[in-house]
Amino acid sequence: MIEKEKLKEYAHKLMFDMKDEEYETLQKEFDVILKQMEAIDKIPNLHEVSPMTFPFLLDDRSLREDEVGDYLTVGEVLSNAKHQVNDQVKVPKVVEE
Amino acid sequence: MIDELRKQLDEGSVTSEELFEEAVKSAKEVQDTYNPFVTILDKYKIRRRANSILTGIPYTLKDNISTSNILTTASSNILKDYVPVYDATVYQKLKKAGAVLVGKTTLDELAMGGTGTTAATGVVRNPWNSNCLIGGSSAGSAVSVALGIVPFSIGSDTGDSIRKPASFGGVVGFKPTYGRISRYGLFAFASSLDHVGVFTRSVRDAAIVTDIIKGYDAKDMTSLKDEDKSYTDELEKPLTHKKLCYIKEICDINQYNDPKVIETLRKFHDFIDKCRNQGFTVDEVSFDKVLLDAIYPTYMIISCAEATSNNANLTGIQFGPRGDGNSIDEVMFSARTKGFSELIKRRFVLGSYILQKENQEKLFLNACRCRRLIVDRVNELFKDYDGIILPASGGGAPSFDSSSEQVTDQQLILENHMAIGNFGGFPSITIPFTFVKDMPVGINITGRVMEDDILLHIANEVEKITGLRGLKVGDRHV
Amino acid sequence: MYKAVIGLEVHCELDTKSKNFSSSPNLFTETPNIHVSAVDLGLPGILPYPNKEAVRKALKTAMALHCENPDEVIFDRKNYFYPDLPKGYQITQVTKPMGRNGYLDIMVGGEKKRVLIHQLHLEEDTASLDHFSNYSLIDYNRSGIPLIEIVTEPCISSADEAVTFLEDLRDVFLFLGVSEARSNYGQMRCDVNISVMKDTDSEFGTKVEMKNINAFTSVRAAIEYEIKRQTGLLESGGKVIQETRRIAEDGKTYSMREKVDAIDYKYFIEPNIPPVKLSDEFYEELKGEIPELKLERYEKYIEKYQLSEYDAGVLSAKRDISDYFEEVLSYGSDVELTVNFVTSAILSTIKKLEIEIKDLFITPKMLSGVIDKVKNKEISLDHGKKILYQAIEKLVDPNEIIKKQNLHQINDEDELRKIIEKVLDENDIQVRQYIDEGNTYVYNFFIGKVMQKTNRQANPNMSLDIIKEELERRKNNESK
Repeated sequence: MIEKEKLKEYAHKLMFDMKDEEYETLQKEFDVILKQMEAIDKIPNLHEVSPMTFPFLLDDRSLREDEVGDYLTVGEVLSNAKHQVNDQVKVPKVVEE
Repeated sequence: MIDELRKQLDEGSVTSEELFEEAVKSAKEVQDTYNPFVTILDKYKIRRRANSILTGIPYTLKDNISTSNILTTASSNILKDYVPVYDATVYQKLKKAGAVLVGKTTLDELAMGGTGTTAATGVVRNPWNSNCLIGGSSAGSAVSVALGIVPFSIGSDTGDSIRKPASFGGVVGFKPTYGRISRYGLFAFASSLDHVGVFTRSVRDAAIVTDIIKGYDAKDMTSLKDEDKSYTDELEKPLTHKKLCYIKEICDINQYNDPKVIETLRKFHDFIDKCRNQGFTVDEVSFDKVLLDAIYPTYMIISCAEATSNNANLTGIQFGPRGDGNSIDEVMFSARTKGFSELIKRRFVLGSYILQKENQEKLFLNACRCRRLIVDRVNELFKDYDGIILPASGGGAPSFDSSSEQVTDQQLILENHMAIGNFGGFPSITIPFTFVKDMPVGINITGRVMEDDILLHIANEVEKITGLRGLKVGDRHV
Repeated sequence: MYKAVIGLEVHCELDTKSKNFSSSPNLFTETPNIHVSAVDLGLPGILPYPNKEAVRKALKTAMALHCENPDEVIFDRKNYFYPDLPKGYQITQVTKPMGRNGYLDIMVGGEKKRVLIHQLHLEEDTASLDHFSNYSLIDYNRSGIPLIEIVTEPCISSADEAVTFLEDLRDVFLFLGVSEARSNYGQMRCDVNISVMKDTDSEFGTKVEMKNINAFTSVRAAIEYEIKRQTGLLESGGKVIQETRRIAEDGKTYSMREKVDAIDYKYFIEPNIPPVKLSDEFYEELKGEIPELKLERYEKYIEKYQLSEYDAGVLSAKRDISDYFEEVLSYGSDVELTVNFVTSAILSTIKKLEIEIKDLFITPKMLSGVIDKVKNKEISLDHGKKILYQAIEKLVDPNEIIKKQNLHQINDEDELRKIIEKVLDENDIQVRQYIDEGNTYVYNFFIGKVMQKTNRQANPNMSLDIIKEELERRKNNESK
């Protein structure tokens, strides 16, 4: 079983925390899904199959022509931001990394 | 249904404003009991000069579809105050067609659930029996159509999020080929599996609405090129594609103990016989059991992985409730800790774990490989068959207290096979076909990619056999 | 002895009309949040749609750097949380970058050095953060601007090499026209990875990383300082720590943070961008659009046109000037004269007027006409240049000026002979110098006099011929 501490670390990397008992539920879920995945791993020649990302592929896909289209007004950009100064979104001081 | 409303509107026996007021009134009446709405609109709005079959017809939208100036929450606290500044393409098309929005419907939080019980605003109840769940994630959409508040609703489907609640709600639920309807403005759950689709009370209505909302969108690269075809018109032509199959490993009654499942499957086989009598060929085919077992974990792995990334924009910085704290990390941490429910967090952690460098090969990529094996096998079947027909669930909607019951591995397949349609982007439709213990159960038909017209055509013929076209809560079943 | 091992990661914004994955404008501005779409802001429900021009420009750069190119366009997501990254992931390339295993040859200290390119990929820029005493502000204008990242192998060994590489790489961008690469606008930025090792060591030393340096002078200062610092540390028995440092205004580097565990970016293929095949025809088309680069032109000028290294350097330094020069030559103009005209009259004029060569009134075609007339001795070199300056001042085709002057030009041989005889008669001293000493320098003197007398309207070539004849005739008469 995956350690609770490990799960906590993963959660923190995703920028949230959970209650202790929630981690326990998660542990059990991990157990189930990892067991199921072990079964998948046993499918013969699975590793020769190329992983599928798209439901299907088409030959006639094309890229976007480089033209300016519609975009937002400053008001729209900021309309959902809770804190703002000088038409910019305000956040606590970011220490540059 | 749409044709009747169209006729009444055109004759002038009712106005679209009256239809709207009526829909709003019944929406408010049922809200306390079934909780289908996050937002019920109070102002009638219609595009002037619109002239389409949907002009003046009321409808509802799942609350994970972006509507400018109308609150859109995805039923999550992290978006509880989010008012979009842009329109989803599907909403724009309906506006242009003159359809009238009545409300935004409740979903499982961020569309990540199949029960309709995880919305931040509470559980959604099944209108056929309020002790039962309606299924999800497009829970409120299913309810709004099942109750006849509106003739159609727009939902989204990542695993079976339209087709499962359609089954439990006794309505038609259709998701066309991946890319047929633009996803621009649909809050992403798992991008490679997400579809926009419709709830209606007849296959014909599903065709009518799809005709309006399908099409290439310059904002969605995965959207399909336009085709010169009206699905509605195609329904009137004689059906030449009548070769169906069902999967033995799912439909074999002998492997189940649950009486509800047994009754469902017995009715399914009876129904298949009726289809045969009506000129359909329906064969039993075999599908590798290992692959069937793999459907659920494959779905979980891929959807959770993509969801973790897709929802990384929910930090309370640009939008959503701002978290507390003195540093930027604290602020994001607080917003996300408060904003997501437990289930969502568990799925995100799972998704993130799957994508970790050291696990990606064994978990994520293996699931993607498995996805290909399953899709390849289905495409093989499509060489011989025009559609795969299966029960959409192993019975009617479960009651709230039974949903936590342990299900057998076998039932896990029966309850989750519709994700196949998402793996391969196949068009797939659920229509009501019977009742089990007084609750409706749907039948699911999945067709070849791109051939939405053929699938709808088949479904339209099958619907005639069910005798349940136009089914609405309160109707006595046969 | 210690030697430095340097690898560079260069970011450069591409010059396109719209952003990489949305159709908001890609324009530099100081006004915050005016070029932002829902996509750039990472709002729920948005989808990316890659820009064809950005892909073309990234591929062209990769091709110019001799990279291997992919058979299809694919993007990946790089997942991490940072306030300048509104989606919570950056769309970039890992699976199939636009280029792999390329190189750029540079000239350092008169020698050619090959800098190996590990990879070139196309991605999107982040929003920009402005820091104040107790808060930061986010401006999303930059979010989504197409960005290429070029990663070199750790094959650079000095500040000179690094800076020359950066300068030459910028020239590649400019010659290709993919970016204006203005480092003062942050359009071109550089991360430096540097370690030092003993000559005899077989393994690299501990690496220090310096991020987002805009000015090339800072790159030089940072590298020179780090080589000194790291060497000093090792010589005194110390150890270099793996860390990120920043360069300060005093030219020294300061530690920002020690390297903790590498972040796992959980890369996976962007599911919203289905692969787009890149055909051989498409690559052929791109190939046709790639001009000769600076070093190729420099070498061509020396080998094919026998230019001096200096002139070759001047004429290959900038694409527009080089193109201008080559266009003049394309009309068949004399090489030596063309070099002379372009490096003197033309370059000094655009410098004086502070304009780009494309904005200069004198087109290559016009210049070529003037050069031909000088070559045919219809006008003198000096006169030709004077006419050019007149033409620029009056905005008239210099060839028209020459034509007009020619209309008044005295081309009548008898008339010219009369004038010349008179001039010779009036300047006996110079005639004697020719007859007695064989001094041919007097030709120029007499030409000058003839021009003076005729108000510059005498045909100079005819005049010269007559002067020579007349002087010789007088010499012969005397010796009879």
